[in-house]
Amino acid sequence: MIEVRDLRVSYGGRTAARVPELDVRAGECVAIVGESGSGKSTTLLSLLGLAEGAHVSGEVRVCGVDVLRAPERRLRELRGARVALVMQAPQAALSPTTRLGVLMRRALRLHGVDAPDRAAREAMAAVMLDPELLRRYPHEISGGQAQRFAIALAIALGAGVVLADEPTSALDVTVQAEVMGVLRRLREERDLALLLVSHDLALVSTIADRVLVMKDGEVVETGPAAEVLARPSHPYTRELLEALP
Amino acid sequence: MRGAVVRWGRGAGAPARDRPAVLGAALLAVIVLAAVLAPWLAPYPADEPDPVNALLPPSAAHWFGTDSAGRDVLTRVLYGGRTSLVIAVAVLGVAATVGVLLGVVAGYAGGWVRDVIMRVTDVFLAFPALLLSLALAVVLQPGVTTVIVALAVTWWPWYARLAASVAASVATRPYVDAARCLGVPAPLIVLRHVLPNSLTPVLVQLSQDAGGVILTAAALSYLGLGAQEPTAEWGLMVQQSQTLFTTNWWVVTFPGLAIMLTAFASNLVGEGLRDALDPRRVVVR
Amino acid sequence: MTTLLRAEGVTLGYGRTPVVHDVTLDITEGGVGLIGESGSGKTTLARAFLGLLTPMSGTIWYGDQNLKKADMRRFRRDVQPVFQGEALDPRMRVGASIAEALPRAARDRVPGLLQQVGLDPELAGRRPHQLSGGQRQRVVIARALAAGPRLLVLDEPTSALDMTVQAKILDLLARLGTGRLLITHDLAVVGRLCRTSYVLFAGRVVESGPTAELLDAPAHPYTRALRDAVPRLGGEPPRVAARPEPSAVGEPGGCPFRSRCPLAVAECGRTPALREIEGRRVACHRAEEVLRGR
Repeated sequence: MIEVRDLRVSYGGRTAARVPELDVRAGECVAIVGESGSGKSTTLLSLLGLAEGAHVSGEVRVCGVDVLRAPERRLRELRGARVALVMQAPQAALSPTTRLGVLMRRALRLHGVDAPDRAAREAMAAVMLDPELLRRYPHEISGGQAQRFAIALAIALGAGVVLADEPTSALDVTVQAEVMGVLRRLREERDLALLLVSHDLALVSTIADRVLVMKDGEVVETGPAAEVLARPSHPYTRELLEALP
Repeated sequence: MRGAVVRWGRGAGAPARDRPAVLGAALLAVIVLAAVLAPWLAPYPADEPDPVNALLPPSAAHWFGTDSAGRDVLTRVLYGGRTSLVIAVAVLGVAATVGVLLGVVAGYAGGWVRDVIMRVTDVFLAFPALLLSLALAVVLQPGVTTVIVALAVTWWPWYARLAASVAASVATRPYVDAARCLGVPAPLIVLRHVLPNSLTPVLVQLSQDAGGVILTAAALSYLGLGAQEPTAEWGLMVQQSQTLFTTNWWVVTFPGLAIMLTAFASNLVGEGLRDALDPRRVVVR
Repeated sequence: MTTLLRAEGVTLGYGRTPVVHDVTLDITEGGVGLIGESGSGKTTLARAFLGLLTPMSGTIWYGDQNLKKADMRRFRRDVQPVFQGEALDPRMRVGASIAEALPRAARDRVPGLLQQVGLDPELAGRRPHQLSGGQRQRVVIARALAAGPRLLVLDEPTSALDMTVQAKILDLLARLGTGRLLITHDLAVVGRLCRTSYVLFAGRVVESGPTAELLDAPAHPYTRALRDAVPRLGGEPPRVAARPEPSAVGEPGGCPFRSRCPLAVAECGRTPALREIEGRRVACHRAEEVLRGR
């Protein structure tokens, strides 16, 4: 679903991220791990052509779309219906004066989904949200509910890829467990491809098949999650692991 | 990138968005310079009636023409700018100082202190600004000083309100609590921490208001309650020659344009500042 | 064990709405943790211990004095906060921020304080935004230390920091000889800094006791849910606590955790009192079963 080769993102000549290779297949979860300034979020945004003001080179294919060369219209369709982007503060992305249900139905109709009401209800059930929440406004739901709503929206649209940037770092641990549980289940039931950006190695270890460890814009280590976390080969990965409480 | 605010749609588009502000700043700079340098720039003395050359249309000798007393309109517009700017600076200086000090105290102290200050503010706000200015101008002698007093009296409550709401939010920041935990006395906390961190929106408001003050001052003069002859003042100039508009358009048009341009420029600068200082625009970390 | 501060039956709130109910808590040496999620009232309680908020009822004891009547000059030196977020005035040089905690004659201690927290004294001339998150938090600690406190009130001191930076700041805090009240949602951090912990839910203490035992064998279903929600390296995915049967939730009132508790029964309509059980205090009718791992 995601195929990246020789990706290089730079701002004014300064390289912010360089990823030689990154593949995420359907039903697979890959995690990019790193700290602030590592380039992990930049990498994720450039997969949707959202790295503003950046020079991006290389090959990026998401759901078959050649992101770096596709016209804006195709990219919009990709972002709107085929890829779900889950960010740290989802409420900010929801229009405050629109009820969630209206928002979802509008999106579904825009992308020509049949029976939008049923699709909306099913999607809400899939993320374990009460369909009653569709009557609420964005500020009337909690952070964890907003995250799950963002995911539900994507599922209703039939998205096959979820890009999640620190989706739970602003949430309480018990809520984090719920959101991650939803992602894990959807991945199994619907064969979603999940690309997770996180600073939390422990969290990553419970969901990712493979990890990329990034530092200062470079991928310093990559491999199957179990192996990298059990036998880190790069000193930085070891440092990250030792920092875990 | 934790805590980083992604600047959607900024990046490449940002400079284009700031262009109006730059234009406004440049325009304002020209206007201020022209007013300050009026004695050197003006081609004629400020107040030298020359009835023989009354109401001449724009020409090489008189770019903006002459008025009914035969005075050079360009010269009058340049000197009029001095009056208008003095009024703007004085009014906003007084209004902002008084308003911000009271507002910051109200915002930080909260409780009954805030209630008292805000009720006083509300009383002043209850009168329409122009009406209050009118009443004051009638009680006092008409003139530039009266205009300044009248406008300052009607303008400060807005600053008090703005400063109070900003200060109330600054007062809840952790660094203010930290200062309290160090036992720093309240007046010092207000001066050292609350006031400096509340000034940004005030600055934006100031630059936006400059145009408004000049417009209102011009309106008062226009109503005969502000600057008096022979003082050059834009509003007064428009008022005195409005009957001539159909026959001698230049006498009215140039001071009117000056008012408009100044108000316009100050608005552009204000909006630009507001955007530039908008915390949402600042990339955290 | 000396008690530096003690809350006795303290109820706190803003306006007339209480958000912390009848909390009794001792801040003893060896570090005390206050664990809770958003809305638990933990920050409100911290503000009361800092003398920034007066209890609606109950008493904060500072030694043998009621804090309301205590010598505030001494108290301000003794108890210092380390906040998260914008804890430093963004317009002030960080050296000046630290100096604010010092008497005029002692301003020359700033470089020494910076060194004590592992920073280059040169940084005194910088403003907060010119420092990294970890450096900023060290400055905040240096300012608190400048007052010469016996107790630091730490409100999520590392939650905004990168993991590797967080580890270093925690080391620094552990090395300092001062008392600690740590407010956090992060169980792992508590384990490193606090001998005793209190778990707060909806403004009430639901369990307290030695941190190690609390995390090892929780006696309250909420403590257990918290512990189980933390992902562990290479461990099983965290268990999502099951929701209770709707029939057991019943009317509002009673145990505050009832609507989320997988063990809720009709009896939970009666608010459980804190009671001693195996070296800790817990407010749950079914604590014995939780302890035995049900």
